Amino acid sequence: MKRFPWEVIPALVVGIGLGLGYAWMIAPVRYINTTPSTLSADFKDQYRILIAASYASTHDLARARIRIGLLGDADPVQVLSAQAQRMLAAGQPFAAVQQVALLADDLKSGVVQVPPGAVAESTVSVKLTTPTPAFTFSDTETPQAAPIESSTAEIVATITPFTPTPRPTHTPTPTAGAPFILLSNDKVCNPNLTDGLMQVSVIDGRHHQMPGVEVILTWDGGEEHFFTGFKPDIANGYADYIMQADVTYTVRIAESGTPVSNLTAPSCTDSSGQTYLGGIHLTFQQP
Amino acid sequence: MPRWLYSVIALGIGIGLGLLYGWVINPVQFVDTTPASMRADYRADYVLMIAEAFHTDQNLDLAIHRLAVLGSNPPAAIAAEALKTGQSIGYSANDISLLQELTLALQAYQPAPAPIEGTP
Repeated sequence: MKRFPWEVIPALVVGIGLGLGYAWMIAPVRYINTTPSTLSADFKDQYRILIAASYASTHDLARARIRIGLLGDADPVQVLSAQAQRMLAAGQPFAAVQQVALLADDLKSGVVQVPPGAVAESTVSVKLTTPTPAFTFSDTETPQAAPIESSTAEIVATITPFTPTPRPTHTPTPTAGAPFILLSNDKVCNPNLTDGLMQVSVIDGRHHQMPGVEVILTWDGGEEHFFTGFKPDIANGYADYIMQADVTYTVRIAESGTPVSNLTAPSCTDSSGQTYLGGIHLTFQQP
Repeated sequence: MPRWLYSVIALGIGIGLGLLYGWVINPVQFVDTTPASMRADYRADYVLMIAEAFHTDQNLDLAIHRLAVLGSNPPAAIAAEALKTGQSIGYSANDISLLQELTLALQAYQPAPAPIEGTP
């Protein structure tokens, strides 16, 4: 009986080492044709900003939805809203924040909230060549190492033309700096809410929520500044403040808003006859 | 068969196993890529988004800033490459027009000359 050739073991180990060294260091798999879903987090943020800027120009929701889908986010609306808040907190330009928030709103509602006259085109198509057999994109997609010229199949996604519902009158784009007006001032008696809650909603002329708008609250001996947009789970143009009993407040939107004075937390009565501190809900609009 | 041949065969098998593991089973993972490494059609769509935004805001500096993430080539060359890709994969006439508008603007772009020191 022949003895086992033990000398092959070190040769095998050396061979594996050489193979791994070549595969990982000398000639690793090159991902030169990656997809947007593999981008790093900061580049994905830039990608979303760009999608939002493009959407603000074209108002093409179907195309924006496809593009957002390329990033492979589980909940694109939530991701966009969260990004808008981060941008707001980082002091990025208000226009960019508003574009991202607007895209989140429109993706959520499925409705393009723009005047029909502003729609640049009615028929669009996005063509993406891909060697994969389906037009699906996800985080688990394996980037293709093959160059684009070697793609054997071309998948073409043609977006159904979006036709906005005509409106009887053209709604002008809000003018930056136009004074905000108080649209409504409602007493809120809801025992489930925090006592003395002042809710502020800020919308533009097209009823879009407006994040990043400064609200100035003053009272005898005090002043508070806060911004809309930090509670995207409620609305992007929402902010709130807890009022004290027997204190009279004045609210003003920082961008040339007319002050609304004599605001106090109302007294409410619950179903058992107990009184509690109610709240108010103010809605401001920029015409 | 000479004994040394066993070692050579084992070495070859080892290299094969190493390559199989390194290229197929556990290849180098690239999860944090840049827009510059995206496939040509995605790059073209990226440039198209920039062109769509530029069409409205006409802010060429912002467009150049946005194009910078697509590599070190001149912005006009990046836009021209996207235009070529768009034409090859059948972009709509409107999209081609937007890419042409951006490309032409970039080709005509003349950065403001830096002030010469000492000049009053």
